[in-house]
Amino acid sequence: MTEWKTRIRETCANAGHVLDEDVLEELSLHASSEFQKVRAGGMDEAEALRHVEAIVEAWSHDPLMLCRRPRRPPLLESPSASTRRLTGLAADLRYALRLCARQPGFALLVVLTMALGIAATSTLFSVVHGVLLKPLPWPHADQLIRLTETRQGSTRPMPGTMTNATYLPWRDGASTIDGLAAWSPRTMTLTGSGDAQRVRVVAITASLFPLLGASPVMGTRFEAQSEVPGSDSVVISYGFWERELGRDQNVLGRKIQLDGRGYTIVAVMPRDFAFPDRLTRAWVPFYIPPLIDASGNGRALSMFNAMARLRPGTTASQAAAEATARGRSGPDAGLVAIAVFGSNGPIEVSAAPALDSITGEVRRPMLLLMLAVGLLLITATANVASLQLARATVRRREIAIRAAIGAGAARLMRQILIENLLLGLCGGLVGLALSGALHSALPSLAPPDFPRLDDVTLDSNVLGFTALISILTALGFGLLPAIRLRRMNLAESLSQGVERGDGTGLHTARTRVLIMAGQVAIASLLLIGAGLLVRSFYAMLHADRGFDSANLLTARLPMPATLYPASRRAAIIDGVLMSLRQTDGVGKAAYTDSLPLTGSESRSSFIMRRPGADSPVNVSTLTHTVSHDYFAALGIRIVEGRGFTESDTAASPHVAVVNRAFAQKYLGSSPVGARLPAIGNWQTDCEVVGVSENVIRQGIGDDLQPALYLLQPQTQVSAFSALVIRVAGEPRTFIESLKAAVKAQDPSLALESVMTMEDRIGSSLARPRLYAVILGGFALFALIIAGVGLFGVLSYSVAQRSTEIAVRTAVGARPLDIACLILREAFGITVSGLVIGIGSALILVSYLSTLLYGVRVYDALTFVSVPLILCVITLLACALPSLRAIRIDPIRGMRGKWVEKN
Amino acid sequence: MGTTALERELKRGSTELLILALIEDQPRHGYEIGRLIEERSEGTISFHVASLYPTLYRLEDRGLIEGRWVERPEQRRRKYYRLTPQGRKVLSSQRSVWREFFAALDRVARIRHA
Repeated sequence: MTEWKTRIRETCANAGHVLDEDVLEELSLHASSEFQKVRAGGMDEAEALRHVEAIVEAWSHDPLMLCRRPRRPPLLESPSASTRRLTGLAADLRYALRLCARQPGFALLVVLTMALGIAATSTLFSVVHGVLLKPLPWPHADQLIRLTETRQGSTRPMPGTMTNATYLPWRDGASTIDGLAAWSPRTMTLTGSGDAQRVRVVAITASLFPLLGASPVMGTRFEAQSEVPGSDSVVISYGFWERELGRDQNVLGRKIQLDGRGYTIVAVMPRDFAFPDRLTRAWVPFYIPPLIDASGNGRALSMFNAMARLRPGTTASQAAAEATARGRSGPDAGLVAIAVFGSNGPIEVSAAPALDSITGEVRRPMLLLMLAVGLLLITATANVASLQLARATVRRREIAIRAAIGAGAARLMRQILIENLLLGLCGGLVGLALSGALHSALPSLAPPDFPRLDDVTLDSNVLGFTALISILTALGFGLLPAIRLRRMNLAESLSQGVERGDGTGLHTARTRVLIMAGQVAIASLLLIGAGLLVRSFYAMLHADRGFDSANLLTARLPMPATLYPASRRAAIIDGVLMSLRQTDGVGKAAYTDSLPLTGSESRSSFIMRRPGADSPVNVSTLTHTVSHDYFAALGIRIVEGRGFTESDTAASPHVAVVNRAFAQKYLGSSPVGARLPAIGNWQTDCEVVGVSENVIRQGIGDDLQPALYLLQPQTQVSAFSALVIRVAGEPRTFIESLKAAVKAQDPSLALESVMTMEDRIGSSLARPRLYAVILGGFALFALIIAGVGLFGVLSYSVAQRSTEIAVRTAVGARPLDIACLILREAFGITVSGLVIGIGSALILVSYLSTLLYGVRVYDALTFVSVPLILCVITLLACALPSLRAIRIDPIRGMRGKWVEKN
Repeated sequence: MGTTALERELKRGSTELLILALIEDQPRHGYEIGRLIEERSEGTISFHVASLYPTLYRLEDRGLIEGRWVERPEQRRRKYYRLTPQGRKVLSSQRSVWREFFAALDRVARIRHA
């Protein structure tokens, strides 16, 4: 073709015409095609040449050829209008895949970084969505409210608790609600099918299922008539029906044994019905007794959970106001209210949407963690953006060549965005797989009392969210290089080497430094949050609870009163304790009716005359029945007087030990020897013989409450017994001995909640530990990203500044001076990031205040150690780039060649 | 006017119509246009390549056709011409003129066009 072009050009030139290049090319194509055609038609070469030359000759004589100079068309044809938007997409995708295959390490780094960020974000979103956002699984759940009753002046908040003092007067004829229901969870012993087992059963009023809009799959709901003492109906869960009764179709009317009593199955609930949680296996009717008994003398305050359905158009506060008024119109609970609430003031009822009430405790931590994971995702995205910027600089030549052969800016931007979308979506897919794994591990990671965990699923919302953040992050880290592309100087990019500093490189370096400072800021913010939570958790774990938790085995031994009369219970306990004491390695073994950290406690209230005071005081106290060795077994110090001894027997005068809080509040300066009035079913008063250290019973931050210890031989053994065993060595190794001791007394007895005390403490701190671990993990991830990112930026900077460093070395800079150059740049980034991060932390940590114990929000140790950690990371990140900078050969470096000295 | 002169005038008058009609459905390059005119008229109409390209450029200058260089796999790049919307209108109008012209010829000289 070139030959024909030359020939046409020469022929026309000889005729005095100069043709445009495009015309020349078109004509030469024509000539060449014609030549081939006539040759194919059988003409010999010489004749064919003559034929075509005649055509060329004719062209050279036609002045019309010079009439116009056609506009220069684009170098490459753009796709036709109908397919313009999509044409080449597959090619772009193939190109992106080839690029990934060419640099698998880079692709893997990007995908992994994004996968970790996306997995964390997606998992946390699914928890937030399932727990906080998803409506409760009942019809019109937004109309459901949870009720909390208290007394004016009460010092003891009991969220979600209501009493018969309010419930009964309000239930009938309420005008603000369409229904009111109560329930009370308990654990019962299931016998009759294999080993005795403890099952969670919830006593419910007949109104509960209609209130929730729940219907059984088989049988009928409770009738109001079933709410009588001693009712023997039971509704079972689907799981119970499946596992315990083998999906028996004739299950209605069958009897099951709970706590030794026969209950008739009247209904089976649907598979997806769970109330109040998944652990509940059965429901029995709940009888709410009147406040004042039939004789008109005794007062019994029954406590339970209650829920109401708002009448359309009414609000929770209107319902609460009506409940308060109804409660106040009822009979006075008197001393019993003091025992329960610590005050006998007027009734006050508050109401909150059921969802808020169930999830209230975890709302703030979850939102804070969501914020933290958002920051983590930003830092991961920024990290990838920074990597992509560096890569875009390296790829400038390639991109410039593509631009030079006709790719427009839009096409090149699309190509870069497709590459990033591919990486982002791969990151999203891997992240989703990781998130799936986290989901399956969630039940074992989350505390057992974490609300609504069953509602946390990888549903379409979570999948949509994951896809969205994958695309958004891909756009996030893909846009910067794409925008940078628009500013690229084609000629410079084609003519200059990759590593030479020029305008684009400088821009890129600046952008990466800014990104890096932001990453340091986020890492420091997350580290401070995690540091505070970890310090708080440590403080909780090692807080002085008033007892020694080491080498302690604990268990509950429920003995339902219907099966075990008081004397039998006492004999069993004596037998078990005796057997344990004879076991090698057991130091002390004791009985109590309420273990610390189990939430079970009984309260008493009585009137007594305070020593030295004229007027009597209303005493409200926790009351624990314990055996002789209880204080020694738990390691509770007796601070004054004595504990219980073998000389204290059922027949000897009644004695009591009080805790320090009781002594300070009610007994003044000389508690030992004080006399307390007859308590419970005692006929005589008792003497306080000692004062024990305060024991933290439940939450570490809870107020210390007065407590009274009574001796087991002098009072009945509770149906809810518990055992405390101090051992030498690992407590878990004594579990079998404990089980054997119990079986020896009664093979049908089932131990419950067998745990070491340290596990019990650990379990009670499961939520703070979870929050600390999650935020700690995020902070660690952010720290690694920041460290690696800093290393990348500094390495890049050394490459960019190689000429400068070489000049400096050549004019006498010592290695230390060069290292200082790098350190100055690194610490410039770190200090800027720290200023932003710590500044933000100072504002944001106040939101953590409710989650902290034993550590202030502006904890000096945390606020000092975090910058130190980041400085150490900065130094580590500087090491290799500094070494490289020092080793730059000044001669070759000045020529712009990246060569280290040998 | 002799027969040869008539042919020349007819060709000159119809060249634009032929080119526009050939690229009505799909873009074609110059050589293909010339070849198709010759093939489809079974040799009756063949104009010298010298006049093909000036006509193409003239049509392009008038905005009736648009030429674009296109590179296709395993082919040399070629300049393809396609009809612009304006060219489409002109083609349609030229067709009616020719149609009326033939109708008039038929009425007067009893010449039926195909």
